[in-house]
Amino acid sequence: MTQSVGVGRTPAAGSGPAPFDVRGFARTAHGSLRAELDLDAMRDAGLSRAAVRTIVTLAEFEGATMEHLRNVLVTPTHKDARVTAFLVSWAYEKYWIADALRSIAGAAVAAGGDGGPDAAANAARDGTAATPGRAPAGRGPIRRALAGFGQGPDVVGAHLALGVVDDLVLDLAYARLESGAEPGAEPDAEPVAAAAASSNPAFADAVARIRAIKARHTEFFAGEAARRLSASPRSVGLARRELSRSAWPLGRGSVATTEREAFARFAVPDAASRAGLARDIRCSIPGIDDRTASAVMRRLGA
Amino acid sequence: MAFDIDRYTATSVSVAWSDLDLEVFRHEPLPESSLRTLRYMADVEYHTVCYTRDLLTTPSHREADMSAFMTMWNREEFWHGEALAAVLAVHDITVDYDALKANRMKLGWKDRLDPIKQSVLGGLVGQDFVAVHMSWGAANEWSAITAYQRMAELEEHPVLAELLRRIAKQEARHVAFYTSQARERLAASTKAQKVTRFALSRFWAPVGSSISSEDDVRHVMTHLMSGPEGRRAARKVDESISGMPGLAGLTIVQDALDRLGVAA
Repeated sequence: MTQSVGVGRTPAAGSGPAPFDVRGFARTAHGSLRAELDLDAMRDAGLSRAAVRTIVTLAEFEGATMEHLRNVLVTPTHKDARVTAFLVSWAYEKYWIADALRSIAGAAVAAGGDGGPDAAANAARDGTAATPGRAPAGRGPIRRALAGFGQGPDVVGAHLALGVVDDLVLDLAYARLESGAEPGAEPDAEPVAAAAASSNPAFADAVARIRAIKARHTEFFAGEAARRLSASPRSVGLARRELSRSAWPLGRGSVATTEREAFARFAVPDAASRAGLARDIRCSIPGIDDRTASAVMRRLGA
Repeated sequence: MAFDIDRYTATSVSVAWSDLDLEVFRHEPLPESSLRTLRYMADVEYHTVCYTRDLLTTPSHREADMSAFMTMWNREEFWHGEALAAVLAVHDITVDYDALKANRMKLGWKDRLDPIKQSVLGGLVGQDFVAVHMSWGAANEWSAITAYQRMAELEEHPVLAELLRRIAKQEARHVAFYTSQARERLAASTKAQKVTRFALSRFWAPVGSSISSEDDVRHVMTHLMSGPEGRRAARKVDESISGMPGLAGLTIVQDALDRLGVAA
């Protein structure tokens, strides 16, 4: 008997078949990355202050899954068993991504090198949130639950759209870390690395592994959001509203305002990256217009 | 002894059953009443992610240990559901997303209002409200272990017993987390003790009561907890609960069985 039955046996929700194999995802969910990280090699990565700071902040964003789960589970989204099944393994993978990022940042800080700011260094060592001056986390559970009464099942598509945008934003930071790309033309852009990340294969490999894990999350969020928003104009309206009102990135309630602002400068350093993100948001989610994409950029601080 | 969250997260795995020959149920099928109980258990396990939201409405979700535990706990319980669904599938009982969604859609207003109620209570009671959730979780996990053990004893089926033993072993770690949290929080606050005692004695019901019909709850409790052996098991759970600070004398499981009319 193989472990090939259970809720995943019917990978469908609503009327049509869904392409993403939620059960396959759950079965192959990636746990701890510690054994795959060559931290000794990463101690010599020569990561810049901005890069370490970004890694620490990414760890906080990735680890803030429970807050997001609460926000969506108090609404009708909790009734969608396919989505909740995905979110269980999604949170598990993000937990271990956050753990890996803290290890990497810890190694970089321990090595001295360019180091990071005190808050980042402390957070890297302790694995705890940098809490002073946290940004507001947005609406609380009561308001969300009350809103959910009127929104009904159409809000599920809107919540999936949140996942798409969050992944797009965080991936910009990962892409810069992986490539070691130098900053854009704007004078206030944060430098990436004292030595290019690509010159440290262990670091580049670790970031690539994380991006590969997250690519499956994006695949689910984008595929499901597209399917649901294409089928429901009301869902599109709710998605526009949710995207415009949400604090970006989604875990920003766990991070000090100064760190979130530094993250935005790193992830979206210039006009070209801002335009690219806005375009990706519009192209990835059906019905998302310029106005919504602009609102996301404002809320991100980009 | 404090719960070692790092050790727990590092060793958390999905329950395995691929080495168990579930095909044996094709020629040794479980009786109808047992399948009904197993289905109830599977529904409860799959529903864990929804129970989680109530806990997340308290300030506890910002605590790193709590967040780490809930992440692993949710995943382990999901796989318990998958394992039980695998046994049901061999009996041609399908538990899929649509079936789970249909069940959740039937829950109505109480289900919708629960997170609001929990948020309001959490706001009124403050940090001590987390002790209620931790004690409640401990009671549920103790009950779950007892239910799996009773099911294994009653069925006397070696394959089912092994699967249930594996599930119960993971539930034991959940108990360890909840009790360590509950004991610490209860010991630190008389108010937490009073509120928890009140909540458990007035509102606790067997796990699954909020998502199942009373008929199903009564069936499962009668199946697993009736008669002298069932009562003995219930008493044992009550003794564990009442052993926590400020909860002496509570008999919530036996009281629940009495309310359901389960014969002693």
